[in-house]
Amino acid sequence: MTFPEHPISIKVSEAGWLSTFQDLGRENSEFMGVPCGGAADQRSAAAANILVGNSRKAACLEIMGGRFAFTATHEVMCAVTGVPAEVTVNGDPVAMWEPLCLPAGARVVLSKASGGMRNYLAFSGELETARFMGSAAPESRMGFPQQLAPGQTVTLHSRYRGFTHPFLTQPLFRLPVPVPDFSPDVWTIDVVDGPETDRTPGIRKLLSSSHYTVGAKSNHVGLRLDGPVVHPEGLGEIVSHGVPIGAFEIPHGDELIILGRSRTLTAGYPIVAVAAKASLSMLGQASPGRKMTFRWIGNDQAVEQYREQQRGLAHLEDRVHALFAAVGLPVSASFAAVSSPSPAAA
Amino acid sequence: MTTHTAPAGRLRHPPELEAEPFGDSALMLRIKHDDADFRRAAGSRLRDVLLEVRPYGVLDIVAGVESLLVEFDCLAVTHEQLAQTIRLAVAGNGLEPGAPSASRSLFVIPMVVSEEFSPDLPDVAEELGLSPEAVLQQFQSSVLTINLLAAAMAPMMGGVRFPGQVSRCVEPRTNVEPGSVMVAGTNAIIQPFPGPSGWKVIGRTPLTICDIRQNPATSYKPGDLVRFEVVPEHGWSRLEGQFLRASSDGPPSDGAEGGNNDLP
Repeated sequence: MTFPEHPISIKVSEAGWLSTFQDLGRENSEFMGVPCGGAADQRSAAAANILVGNSRKAACLEIMGGRFAFTATHEVMCAVTGVPAEVTVNGDPVAMWEPLCLPAGARVVLSKASGGMRNYLAFSGELETARFMGSAAPESRMGFPQQLAPGQTVTLHSRYRGFTHPFLTQPLFRLPVPVPDFSPDVWTIDVVDGPETDRTPGIRKLLSSSHYTVGAKSNHVGLRLDGPVVHPEGLGEIVSHGVPIGAFEIPHGDELIILGRSRTLTAGYPIVAVAAKASLSMLGQASPGRKMTFRWIGNDQAVEQYREQQRGLAHLEDRVHALFAAVGLPVSASFAAVSSPSPAAA
Repeated sequence: MTTHTAPAGRLRHPPELEAEPFGDSALMLRIKHDDADFRRAAGSRLRDVLLEVRPYGVLDIVAGVESLLVEFDCLAVTHEQLAQTIRLAVAGNGLEPGAPSASRSLFVIPMVVSEEFSPDLPDVAEELGLSPEAVLQQFQSSVLTINLLAAAMAPMMGGVRFPGQVSRCVEPRTNVEPGSVMVAGTNAIIQPFPGPSGWKVIGRTPLTICDIRQNPATSYKPGDLVRFEVVPEHGWSRLEGQFLRASSDGPPSDGAEGGNNDLP
């Protein structure tokens, strides 16, 4: 049973400290000088969309801190991922990291997020939002803030028409969800060599044996960490060049910067390490005060970790697809297409 | 003088290409050559080749002043595989600049010079040993090439006819107003949005050069040509906020000489 899409109004009554439209970011934009941007915790954002039968790349909401509350005019299916938080439907606590089938008019409140920065809220269907270079991701410097204000109404185009099943009640689904562990006091982030690692004597031991604390000036361009650093020796002038997400830079002061998804060209700063791709989602959750240390791994191991992470998401995607098809829940048309082993999105 | 006849034109063998891993999912490409102009011209051709060939697994390409960062899907290809594909693409296509592309546009950009808009003009003049008027004269007579789009689509341009290199500010400014026309070395850049910069500010254009409500957000692209024209301060209000568009579809080609004169 498939229904045509219909518009649903979602009224956001409380918008948290900072909530925006979000997705996995822009593609093919960096050669035009526009950073990819997109969800800092790509794994959680992708999982939220997968859990409601959407394409991983669909637009969702990113919620940072405070209380976020909404009410939808019709029945909707949604999922909340990211750091541990309290989620309630009409006052009753519900689980994160699984599909939630909400009755029309239900009041949903997300609050008390702990251990990190971000939550992701995805709805079955397509959220109506502006796009810049094909993406709903904010690019605030260029005048594309995508921020949600309290009282704002968001339109969702959905084929979901409620869900009842004779033998199932909530929680309805048993899905293999790869929930990240945000609980350690000190996070261990895996890193691989950077171009200037070998010219920075002592950096290997320093990064792997010290604790670093995320500073208050951190943002989507980069995390600024307090902790011991050493400066490389005998480097010539470094002219402006592109830098990967997760590059560790040591500027002239005693500070360590880990670049985020909204980084731009950089000049003059050596890159002493690069976070492994599988660790980027965790870094994207680091909030001021977060303590972390680093572990050096080889490139092969870094790729293998990322493969494992992506395999977990693909497995979830397959199971959601099979389950939703069996019980008649809508699945995004592009969903089936992305489960083939094509190059994964960043 | 433009970069039409860059030294790369004399190239017989593909230049040596250095490909260095930058983390598990990126490769930094640099062209090995003693001459900076050569490296830049060949680098911009390399970017075009990669955008055309789109080697398997490539996600995005970031142009630097003398380098290209290629970001790729590490589950699709390895550093070594991608580097080899790129070398094959270079061997097959060459890095000699082809005939100037027909789609290359010329932009004539008005700029206002004043005490407020040109705080670094006296410094630049002193550094170059010229009068401020002569600096502006040299600047206006230069036909610049957009080498790359830097942060927030800022056009980074090469080919300013200064007799020497302009240094950067000792203390970078934490905020530079949009429209600011800035120089460093023999390069120029326009600030599209507020933000920090260490370049020397010598003027300001009243035009809006990047507007995300336009599609595309800029009319210019890498490879296009730019000339600046100093306009009097009272011309500001008439031009303020207008979206920058190309002045022509490029310099007249040889065959069309005389034929384009009556076009607007």
